[in-house]
Amino acid sequence: MSQKTMIEVSDVTMRFRLNNDKILSLKEFVTTALRGKLQYNDFTALEHVSFEVKKGETLGLIGRNGAGKSTMLKVISGILKPTEGSVVCRGNVVPMLELGSGFDFDLTGRENIFLNGAILGYSKEFLHEKYDEIVEFSELGQFIEVPIRNYSSGMLARLAFSIATVVNPEILIVDEILSVGDAAFQEKSKKRMLELMGGGTTVLFVSHSLEQIREMCNRVVWLEHGNVKMVGAAAEVCDVYDI
Amino acid sequence: MLHQKRKHSGRTEADFAPLLRRLALFLVVGYLAATVLFYFLAGEQLHLRESRGDLELLTADSGTVELAAGSVVEQTFTTEIQRLEKISVQWGTYYRPNAGTVVLELYDTRSNTLLMSKSFDAAAVTEGGFTVMEAEAPIEGLYNAPLLLRIYSPDSQAGSAVSPLMNTQAKEEGFSLTLNGAPTPGILCFTASGTDYIWTGLHYWEFVAAGLAVILLFLDAVWYRARSGKRSYVVNAVIAVQKYRFLIHQLVARDFKTKYKRSILGVFWSFLNPLLTMCVQYFVFSTIFKNNIQNFAVYLLIGVVMFNFFSEACGMALTSILGNAGLITKVYMPKYIYPLTRVMSSMVNLGISLIPLFLVCLATGVHFQKSVVLALYFMMCLVIFCLGLGMLLSTSMVFFRDTQFLWGVLSMMWMYATPIFYPESILPENFRWVLRINPLYHFLKNTRICILDGISPEPFVYFQCFMIALAMLLVGALVFRKNQDKFVLYL
Repeated sequence: MSQKTMIEVSDVTMRFRLNNDKILSLKEFVTTALRGKLQYNDFTALEHVSFEVKKGETLGLIGRNGAGKSTMLKVISGILKPTEGSVVCRGNVVPMLELGSGFDFDLTGRENIFLNGAILGYSKEFLHEKYDEIVEFSELGQFIEVPIRNYSSGMLARLAFSIATVVNPEILIVDEILSVGDAAFQEKSKKRMLELMGGGTTVLFVSHSLEQIREMCNRVVWLEHGNVKMVGAAAEVCDVYDI
Repeated sequence: MLHQKRKHSGRTEADFAPLLRRLALFLVVGYLAATVLFYFLAGEQLHLRESRGDLELLTADSGTVELAAGSVVEQTFTTEIQRLEKISVQWGTYYRPNAGTVVLELYDTRSNTLLMSKSFDAAAVTEGGFTVMEAEAPIEGLYNAPLLLRIYSPDSQAGSAVSPLMNTQAKEEGFSLTLNGAPTPGILCFTASGTDYIWTGLHYWEFVAAGLAVILLFLDAVWYRARSGKRSYVVNAVIAVQKYRFLIHQLVARDFKTKYKRSILGVFWSFLNPLLTMCVQYFVFSTIFKNNIQNFAVYLLIGVVMFNFFSEACGMALTSILGNAGLITKVYMPKYIYPLTRVMSSMVNLGISLIPLFLVCLATGVHFQKSVVLALYFMMCLVIFCLGLGMLLSTSMVFFRDTQFLWGVLSMMWMYATPIFYPESILPENFRWVLRINPLYHFLKNTRICILDGISPEPFVYFQCFMIALAMLLVGALVFRKNQDKFVLYL
């Protein structure tokens, strides 16, 4: 496999400006400013992070809560713009950060497949073609014509997962979504994920389960307090992290 | 820029060449079709407008002479009217019934030719009333020419003759009043009106050609940039439209479906709403506060439909970023899509509410002229204006939540500052500027001219409205663009 770089994260720094309180109204802004209490605390979520992901690789991101993993994924998927540095992605990115964002609860499952699909950037033709496959995978059957406000949380999650994984993206960004639905569906979804990863897709994977990381990733980036603590082969980094 | 890099990496020239070709074809064909269509729809108003040299009526403060047989009133004057059409004279009757014939004559004193004349029965004249002398065809070549208006009566008797009115204080270059051969200070109370040629209209096709040249140059520049591998805004925009068309379609459909999802009448509300608002306001303003607008129902409904669109579009766009916080923090898509789809959903509603407007027009016997089509132009200007304002408001809303309350007050003020249910003439002279600076007023007024008067406004107005809309869009888009990367931090 040609070692083409798919994601290039170079020297990314993400700094948030935190007010002591988020000031959201003009009055508050003026009064606090007049009292001279307008203080900003800079919070650095990521500091000079650089790494690359090659084509077909599955890269794991590990670290404790607040280490900057989710921020990193958001920067890569374009939701956040880094304060410094840059990210280059070569290929279409499908972020599975939180499944089902953009569902409208008044619409039916069918309508939501098209809405959510469009939000994820799928084309019309693609959705028409894959519609049956999505419905089948989600195991919703006749419920697909029911407004999703009547769905159980398991049904919602299944629908969302089915929509998100129907594509063969070039870059897939996954934030702990493997625990969806009942045991049988979990098994099925894991199989689907492995299938996706096997198909030459470049995957960026965040999980707190070291077991999953060891099983699925080639390389691992360990983040701590916004800095890269260690990069290397999955087993190696996991061993150190585990201690 | 990060996102652009992502979207376009891997795209080659071949991807956008057919796109650009289609854009070029669309622009050129669309432009030509629009200009030709406009030429026919605008009709006479493209070439002629009410003359700016019209003579206004002076306030009468005295009679001239009693116009018995043998009396003559002569007024010389000049006007800056290119095509003279009408002269009218104001009369005093001494508050008694009169009899006899009165003759009005207009001469060109350079050649002493009679230009027009009219004789009429003095019995028909009322106190302070007018008689109008109209040319059979507009008379040209009188611009700044010395003219003479002569008024006399061949057969009236003293005691039952009328008298033209005059203003004794007025003075003007080239004007002189002669009563029975004696020069008298003051000016007769009369008006002269006509039409002028519009320079733009006379050179319409030159303008069209110039516009086409600009478009071609522009396309050439875009093409050249694209060929040399540089990214221009145009190419990016075209690619974005292509890419996000389906998403926009889905979001608009969503707004529309969920709006009436659980109501019984559903989509009927889109045209019941303006109709009911109109009924209530019609009742209030035609019985309680009387007015003398012709076809008040349509006058009112046009105002209601357009203002409803304005307040709905801006109100929805205002919360578009905040309301979609859940999406913005989780999925990447260009953020302008949120206000854009909200304005587009309102546009669908605007389209639907044109149906009741059409029905009310039919019911009240409005004679549709071809200029009705031009009303759509002003509605499009309104849409563009709302998009700009909506982007501005949604940006402001992210950083200051007070915006929604301020907007509530502002939109109410805006409603009263726009002649929706009152005639613009009730505003006192010193408040007229409120209308002049109110963009909504311009869009509304011209839509009404197109539908109710059945004529097109003068060409300059189209340019003016387009510029107002474009300026708002640019301001909105720039503010939005400058701040959009910060949105996610404040949600």
